[in-house]
Amino acid sequence: MNRESVDRLLAVAGRELATVVRTRAFLALAGGFAVVVAALAWTAGAVGYVPLVLDLLTPVEVLVPALALAFGYRTVLGDAERGELDVIRTYPVSRATYVLGAYLGRAAALLVAVIVPLSAVALLVPLFGGVGTTVVASHAASDSPVLYLRFVVLTAAFALVVMAAAMAVSTNARSSRAGVAVAVTLGVALVVGFDAGIVAGLVGGVVPEGALELALGLSPNSAFRGLVLESVVGGVAGAPSTSPVPSVLGLLAWLAGALAVATVTVWSGERR
Amino acid sequence: MNPKRVLAVLFAVLLVSSASFVVDVGADRPAPVPFEDTITMGMTAAATVQAEERGVEVPRAEVFYSQYRYVVGYHGVASLADELGREGHARQFGTPLAIYVSDYANADLNVTDEGLFRISDAPSTYEGWVAAEDAHFVVGSRARTPAGEAVVPFSDRSVAESFAAEHGGTVRDWDAVRSNSFDTGAATGEAFRAEVRAQHEWADRQVANATALLDRPVSVVVGEDAPTLPAAVEAAPPNTTVRVPAGTYDVNATGDGSLTVDKPLTLRGAGNDTHLRGDGNGSVVTATTGRVAVADIRISGVGDTFSDENVSTDQGDAWDYRVQLGYGYGDAGVTLDSANGSLVRNVSVDTPANGVVVRWSENAVVDGVTVNGSDDWTDGFMGVMVMRSRTVVQNSTFVGGRDGVYTHLSDGLVVRDNRMVGEGGMRFGVHEMYTSDALVADNAVTGASTGVVVMTRPNGNLVVGNHVRDSYAGVNVAGRASYVAENVVVDNHYGLEAPSQTSIYERNVVVENDIGFRASSLIPTNRVVENDFVDNDRYVTASLGPLRVWTADGRGNYWDDAPGSDAGGDGVLDRPFQPSGPVDSRVGDTPGAATLANSPSLTAIRALQGAVPGLRPTGVVDEAPLADPVRPAVVDRAAGANGTETTETDATAVPDGDANATEMTAVGATGIAPMEGDA
Repeated sequence: MNRESVDRLLAVAGRELATVVRTRAFLALAGGFAVVVAALAWTAGAVGYVPLVLDLLTPVEVLVPALALAFGYRTVLGDAERGELDVIRTYPVSRATYVLGAYLGRAAALLVAVIVPLSAVALLVPLFGGVGTTVVASHAASDSPVLYLRFVVLTAAFALVVMAAAMAVSTNARSSRAGVAVAVTLGVALVVGFDAGIVAGLVGGVVPEGALELALGLSPNSAFRGLVLESVVGGVAGAPSTSPVPSVLGLLAWLAGALAVATVTVWSGERR
Repeated sequence: MNPKRVLAVLFAVLLVSSASFVVDVGADRPAPVPFEDTITMGMTAAATVQAEERGVEVPRAEVFYSQYRYVVGYHGVASLADELGREGHARQFGTPLAIYVSDYANADLNVTDEGLFRISDAPSTYEGWVAAEDAHFVVGSRARTPAGEAVVPFSDRSVAESFAAEHGGTVRDWDAVRSNSFDTGAATGEAFRAEVRAQHEWADRQVANATALLDRPVSVVVGEDAPTLPAAVEAAPPNTTVRVPAGTYDVNATGDGSLTVDKPLTLRGAGNDTHLRGDGNGSVVTATTGRVAVADIRISGVGDTFSDENVSTDQGDAWDYRVQLGYGYGDAGVTLDSANGSLVRNVSVDTPANGVVVRWSENAVVDGVTVNGSDDWTDGFMGVMVMRSRTVVQNSTFVGGRDGVYTHLSDGLVVRDNRMVGEGGMRFGVHEMYTSDALVADNAVTGASTGVVVMTRPNGNLVVGNHVRDSYAGVNVAGRASYVAENVVVDNHYGLEAPSQTSIYERNVVVENDIGFRASSLIPTNRVVENDFVDNDRYVTASLGPLRVWTADGRGNYWDDAPGSDAGGDGVLDRPFQPSGPVDSRVGDTPGAATLANSPSLTAIRALQGAVPGLRPTGVVDEAPLADPVRPAVVDRAAGANGTETTETDATAVPDGDANATEMTAVGATGIAPMEGDA
């Protein structure tokens, strides 16, 4: 990629960032996410980082896809509906540059919305955690902020993957209504559908036991959950360890595949 | 808007944070801490005191766990090895991050002729810490501690080898020691039940043996063959019966103190009509030799001395000498002193002090006795005071007084089928001090401060099938490796209290208490499963230690209002229950709490909560709550019999914002001696 296309990429990304910052609905969504995370962390009475991760894991698994789809499903769709896409196509911007730039802009906003509250609630542990007595010698056990940091990084990666899927939704939907419908469907599929499918496959014998790890890699939520349990909780709880490779590959495949779909479908034919 | 900076910052943040995957968490081993600062496990209070008094060294260990944030100290390497192998240990504590053991490489050790393990206190010798995996252990030497075999660790292999050469045993590494079993740990439920049966059988044999004393031929009848009781005892040949016909006998009026039986005789009255009246000084009847029976009489006029300071015995150097004098030499209706195999049967005593004192009398039996004590416990003493005697106390009734049965250092005794009627003024129904391996079974206690209480960290007590009602606390067992089962506790402030470690609580029925179960140990090693909790104001309080998991082998306890359904049909609810949690604890009594408890988000959030219990805030979680009561008939009886009294109890219930604070006020109000400090 030459310097020119990088500049174009950044220009598109900057435009998306500006859109996000100017849209109050996004600020409200981000604020809502932050409030939920803070409330959960507070009511969980976090005495350590690992318990905090376990308390946040399930909510994050549901809320991050919702947030990412909300942030992303109208990215291209909005441009198309307002006719701006037709204008953009008159610029010397390739499909890949436009999609990637738009993705970067929206994803950057999403990452800020996800990382900031998650990092902030970690402060509850040093502030209010501990073992509640000084009479008896205590130690940190296996608990460590490093483990929490892993959780934040994995959550960010998960958000990036779902944002890529949201991009694919936004390039394929023909109307706002269709966009909402597809986004909701995708959200339900992520949170419930894929895993339910794997369970059904396991019951029906379609998914052999040996391939369960691989199958879980195909579901972004399961891949994310597996990676968190493995890298954060694994050393502590001593559950049978799963290989992180299928999960990592699965998430990467979703990221690349969704962006590729978005690129291919964002527009077709010659520049007008 | 220039996205460069935002993207650059995000990229940098993620890149740096990703380094967290490279860092090896928990790579550095924590340094050892002073042993006094740890939570200790592994030895009874009696053994600890004994070891200290006799200067016996006990090799120690301390463990840093991955999932338990207090440092745990162990008296004895053997007890550590056994505890590490206990089922459920890893679930609650995680894996050991670091284990340190006493290092005797620089200590001047010796083993006495009796095998006691000692360390010289010369300044040139000292005991340090060594990591267990770097240590060399001498196993099977003749070195002993009060807790059993001493496994002796050294950092230096050659020192270990020379110790083994001198005192026997072999040198082993940590892995070999760890996989050993030293029989210091807790038994399984099945082994405990076998133990209960064995104890009952032992008691049956003692009772049969002692009851045979009633078959002795009558040699002297008081009033016919001899003018007075002392004269009759004097005249009767050994192994015969002195018959005491109906009538009142002024025992101490003869001037030489109480009636003393110093030969194997049976003293038998005609029931309540045979009345032995003391003059209010000392015990009324005292047996000072084995195989004496006192049966079918009524006694009054007992002295009011609790602790006789003027006694002198040959026990002056025993570690518990002060306890012996303080408790074992008070006045009583009948005193058995060094009277092995003796019997007190169907005797009723009105007393301002003890009913029966049994000291230094193995295999004695107290059967069918009735003791009427003081209205308020501070004015009286024990129904039966057992000291240093493995005895049987059964089928007796204790009204008022301080404790129904008090035991001191009487390992293996049996207290069964007794009735303690506290009438609100009694302290403890059954009170065990420094007593291990005892059976307390099928006693009924009402109106006491605590129904059955075991203090001073003993081992292996069996508290089974007792019923406690209308008391401040039902059953409170301290110590280790004990069995608390099939007890029914109804309408108390606390149903069960558990300061114990590595003990089993099963098949107890906990009904209509203010607080069903008080989990008060800092170290979560009790196995609490298959108990029924019904109609308690609060299920559980826990103020110390981490989250406890009350589930084993896929089964937990029955909580009457636990939400969820048994979709699997295996008798277990699908949803974990947190009896101490903010929502679940209110399910039964706060309208709406049940609705909230069934919220999928709540279920989702708590799904992973049991994963690292050791790092959780204190409380209790049951991962497999039972769909049906374990003992439904008992639950119904307990709840039904009590229906009318509920409102009254509710009125006097102490609001329980803080379990500790409540405990303190209650202690203050009723003047209960603090736990463990009674002696």
